[in-house]
Amino acid sequence: MSAGGFWHQAREIARKDLLVEGRAGEALYITIPFGAVALMLIPLAIGTDRPLLARVGPGMFLAVSLLFGMLVAFRQTAADTPPQQELLTLLGTDPAAKFVGRTATSTLLLVVFEIVLVPVTILLYNPGRIPGWPWLIPVLVMLASGLALVGTLAGSVTAGLRTRNTLTPLLVAPLSMPLLLASAQVVEALRQEESILLWITLLATMNLAIAVIGVLTARPLEESGR
Amino acid sequence: MKQGSYRALSVTAIVALAVGFTFATTVPPERVQGEFAKIMFVHVPSAWLAFLAFGVTMVGGAIWLVTKTPIWDRVAAASAEVGVFYTALALLTGMIWGYPVWGTFWDWSDARMMSTAIMFFVYVGYLALRRSIPDPETRARRSAILGIVAFIQVPLVYFSVTLFRTLHQGPTVVRPDAPIDPEFLRALMVNLAAFTLVYAAFMTWRTRLARLEDELEETEAIADFELAGSGITAPSVEEAREDV
Repeated sequence: MSAGGFWHQAREIARKDLLVEGRAGEALYITIPFGAVALMLIPLAIGTDRPLLARVGPGMFLAVSLLFGMLVAFRQTAADTPPQQELLTLLGTDPAAKFVGRTATSTLLLVVFEIVLVPVTILLYNPGRIPGWPWLIPVLVMLASGLALVGTLAGSVTAGLRTRNTLTPLLVAPLSMPLLLASAQVVEALRQEESILLWITLLATMNLAIAVIGVLTARPLEESGR
Repeated sequence: MKQGSYRALSVTAIVALAVGFTFATTVPPERVQGEFAKIMFVHVPSAWLAFLAFGVTMVGGAIWLVTKTPIWDRVAAASAEVGVFYTALALLTGMIWGYPVWGTFWDWSDARMMSTAIMFFVYVGYLALRRSIPDPETRARRSAILGIVAFIQVPLVYFSVTLFRTLHQGPTVVRPDAPIDPEFLRALMVNLAAFTLVYAAFMTWRTRLARLEDELEETEAIADFELAGSGITAPSVEEAREDV
């Protein structure tokens, strides 16, 4: 990989991460089926009351997306080993480009994760037609990108730590709660046929704020990882 | 800061707390909530001080990233610890108040309660991160960044009562249309001042303790460090005789 421009580097990092993920299949073949199983477990735990399941279905989808999406965002294949880190540094890779590339990969995988879970949720919970449902498409993309941003940032903060596997979820889960809240409020507002502008703005603001912080702090985080 | 100053600040904070308690107990009961409303003299200052503490954590972390001066990392860490304490106190007093007034300790539809609990866990994560990193510079750098990211929660908690349909009452003290009773407000402000002094006392003691911990770590690191030639020892006559 040559040390080209910022976007070229980000694209190459994303390509490399997708290639590694394609070979390992950590997100696609392990986490996604795991999420689908979780959606099946919930009705067994709360009972098979169909109107209740139809009501809680979208919420369960969002909760599972968040909890299992975390596993996608800080999957093991997204963590660089020390020799990989050294190589990227020697190639002159911009840490911010690495952050952007890695976030892009996670976003893509999370969108795939959501695409698989949506029909599973519809089949298992039968939530009915939500008025203005096409609005859920940008909302789900923003949820995926927000989660990917938080996950990538938290993954960088905990990189190389012995407690990484337990500490990262503790950091990601509460930090991504605003994303879950805003997404859930969009579903609720659409059902009530109310304005969703406030929630879309909240989602976009969260995404933007974390993206800016992630890009600005990428270099200091990279230095602390050496 | 000298040891005497730490003690003077602590004594002042204790006296201020006593004054605050006197104000809180002598103010007449609230018209609707009765004596239960007086828990607000602990709840509201705790919540405000938690916001301040997390703001100091963010600022301390940001200054550390620029200056790399260890004191700012200590300030950020100390403030996060005190902030977590105040958040826990705000949550606990909120729940105690909620039971007689709302009929439940915890209400899922209350956005302020939920977002405060989330903020609590974000900063518990911050403290857990600090404990996980042994190297002081890496610890300071990573926690400074997390301290900045975590602060996103604070405006969200503050505006949660206006953003969401919630059980929690909206802003009361700063609301011009429904002014708070002057006597109640006075007691609240006295308690806010007392809690601020307690925050300052906690901060000074905790920052001092962090400095001592850093000094101890440094001393231990130097003691463990092998100097060049430290493997060469003075010849021992006894050992030489045994060899023969």
